Amino acid sequence: MKKLYQDTFRSVEEIQNRFEEAKYICSDQIATCVYIAHNLQKPILVEGPAGVGKTELAKTTAEILDVPLVRLQCYEGLDESKALYEWKYAKQLLYTQLLKDKLGELLEGASGLSESMDKIHSHDDLFFSESFLEPRPLYKALHEELGCVLLIDEVDKSDHEFEAFLLEILSEFQVSIPELGTIKAKIKPLVFLTSNNSRELSDALKRRCLHLYIPYPDEKLESRILSSRVPELSDTLRKEVVSFVQNVRELDLKKVPSISETIDWAKTLLLLHSEQLDPPMVKQTLNVLLKFETDIEAMRDHTMAFINKAHKRSGT
Amino acid sequence: MQQTLEDFYKVVRAAGVNISPSDSIETSRSVTLVGYSNRQILKNAFQVSLAKSLAEQDLVAECFEQYFRFNTFETIEQLGHEQKNSADANADEAIPVPTDEYQGDQPLAKMLLDRDAASLSTEMKKAAREVGLSDIWFFTQKSLYTQQIMQKMGLRDLQNEIAQAAGKGDCPGGTGLAEELRQAKDYLAEQVKDFVEQQLSMFGKNAAKNLREEHLQSAKLSNIEQRDFHIMHHLVLKMAKRLSTQYSRKKKRENRGQLDFRKTLRRNAAYDGVLFETYWKTKYIDKPRLMVMCDVSGSVQAYARFLLLFVYSLNDVMTRIDSYVFTGNLINVNDIFEDYPVEQAIDIIMDRHGLGGSDYGTTLLDLEDQCMDDIDNKTTVLILGDARNNFLAPRSEVMQLLYQRAKRVIWLNPEPENFWKTGDSVMYKYRPYCHLASTCNTLEHLERMLDKLLKAATGTV
Repeated sequence: MKKLYQDTFRSVEEIQNRFEEAKYICSDQIATCVYIAHNLQKPILVEGPAGVGKTELAKTTAEILDVPLVRLQCYEGLDESKALYEWKYAKQLLYTQLLKDKLGELLEGASGLSESMDKIHSHDDLFFSESFLEPRPLYKALHEELGCVLLIDEVDKSDHEFEAFLLEILSEFQVSIPELGTIKAKIKPLVFLTSNNSRELSDALKRRCLHLYIPYPDEKLESRILSSRVPELSDTLRKEVVSFVQNVRELDLKKVPSISETIDWAKTLLLLHSEQLDPPMVKQTLNVLLKFETDIEAMRDHTMAFINKAHKRSGT
Repeated sequence: MQQTLEDFYKVVRAAGVNISPSDSIETSRSVTLVGYSNRQILKNAFQVSLAKSLAEQDLVAECFEQYFRFNTFETIEQLGHEQKNSADANADEAIPVPTDEYQGDQPLAKMLLDRDAASLSTEMKKAAREVGLSDIWFFTQKSLYTQQIMQKMGLRDLQNEIAQAAGKGDCPGGTGLAEELRQAKDYLAEQVKDFVEQQLSMFGKNAAKNLREEHLQSAKLSNIEQRDFHIMHHLVLKMAKRLSTQYSRKKKRENRGQLDFRKTLRRNAAYDGVLFETYWKTKYIDKPRLMVMCDVSGSVQAYARFLLLFVYSLNDVMTRIDSYVFTGNLINVNDIFEDYPVEQAIDIIMDRHGLGGSDYGTTLLDLEDQCMDDIDNKTTVLILGDARNNFLAPRSEVMQLLYQRAKRVIWLNPEPENFWKTGDSVMYKYRPYCHLASTCNTLEHLERMLDKLLKAATGTV
């Protein structure tokens, strides 16, 4: 394990190459963004449709930098006690029960209520120390000795209040815990926030981040991604799959297939030993690509045309 | 380089992307980091640092392509060719003037004659910066800036040079040089003009539009012309959105805040008074119920249109909107708003019920008959009209009743206050029975009034 900022990337190309080694094919824009974020220690806000590799980007970055990945999944109602820390109430209770006798001994010889109180006071910090603290992702991320990649997933699902709370962490990388004082990050984590745009994020949050939008990949990029993720796939089939999916994306569908679905579909076809796309096979496996019955229905008329186009594309 | 970056931020701002000072500082850091060697990477760096949404990313990319385009003076090689061709046709013995014949030391003339596109372009940009071309925002400033830039580049000297060359009229080489310089000057003027136009299109992108919108916001609603309706519609929606985000924020205060002791005691009576279940005081925003009454007679029709448009755009911060229009009788138009999109509904209402002289007395009697029972202490009644009653009975006693029943009665009158007692206006009779009566004849007034209404209704004064 190395420190997070120990070896900085020297150029954007280097990032692209390193990502490619880790089987993540990224566009110029993604690489530039990671390059700036890593060098200037700024958080990245990643937006884009589901399944284009937003979460994967954070994971791969952690892998390349050889640091742990701390992940915080956001949802409605998420609050500090789930995100930052919580006291282990049960453990505190258990300990007080176990130590009841000791307490008796401790208080022996004390006369009067105030003296007993003072005696207890001199020990009560024990119960609010780090051994009774349940660390949650944000706390963990600040505490990593060597730095880490912090992934705050689907931040748009959280409430306004939580978003405001994040601001302190994202700009100062420190939080205040009343019982313990201010905790500052040992090494600033590299933060990725992902969003599906289910609601508009506040300007204050956006301002603190680099903004990266990952769109659906074009044909060339998708082909490269597929060959890196499913290397066993033959050239012909890969070209056909990519062409088919690109065509499907142009239809007016409820849920357009993204990269992860393309990869799943390619794997499915591989498993079924198909050499090239043929109508019955496509029809049977379409549910891997499309997730809504209405979408599959809408595809029915186009399947043949798209398969033919795909064949033309691959030259068979 | 700093100046170049600052100008670029100006361009991006003009295109409608908000860039705060801290954004520009961070962006400058990013740019320093990635360097200027690779155009694509530089563009990406700008995009990820400046833009805050997908739409803004496209805007930034567009601005980048426009701003960092270096095609000025690229046609300089063609300069003088046409003249030579025509000269060839006329007389074969006319010798093309070799450029090295120029002996003067005027730098501009030299650059032009040397076809030195790079230096010319640098000089022009330097001059542009000196005269502050990045402040250009309106098309009428074009020629002013063109002239100023040319002057800075040394137009006067060039003209002297031309005059001098022309003065040596007896020497054929002299006139040739004068002619060539003159052509070069025209070419320069054209290039500078192009450049200024290009800059205007970047720096002044939204200025004209903003100016127009600003004007429309404060223009009298009755003076707004049909062709501006779509811009007005857009403006109304923008204002309405601002108001509704302000007033529609859900407040999640359950389990927090103060303990409601009375309710807790009452609820726990069942547990023998042991405080078992707690009940907290919760804050929630009370959405207003609105009843809108619009006069649609000729004199106030235009105002009614925009009021209705505005009110219906605020749909999500109102529990319920009941709308009525009147000239002589009160007519409920809820069904039209249910069946058609707002804009279309307004057109239909104006067609069907518009025109005719207004009779406030009858209208108020109708109100008493039809809907007095629906009005309770949660209802805000919004009346739009000029209260010009054509000398009929005003029936202000109904207004009094309304005043007593409703939460608030608000009267919007397009006429200024000192007209309220003149001619057939009975506004002075209704006025005591309104919680709020005010002049309202521009979009800004309208926004302010609705803001007040929502403020009072939601109790966030």
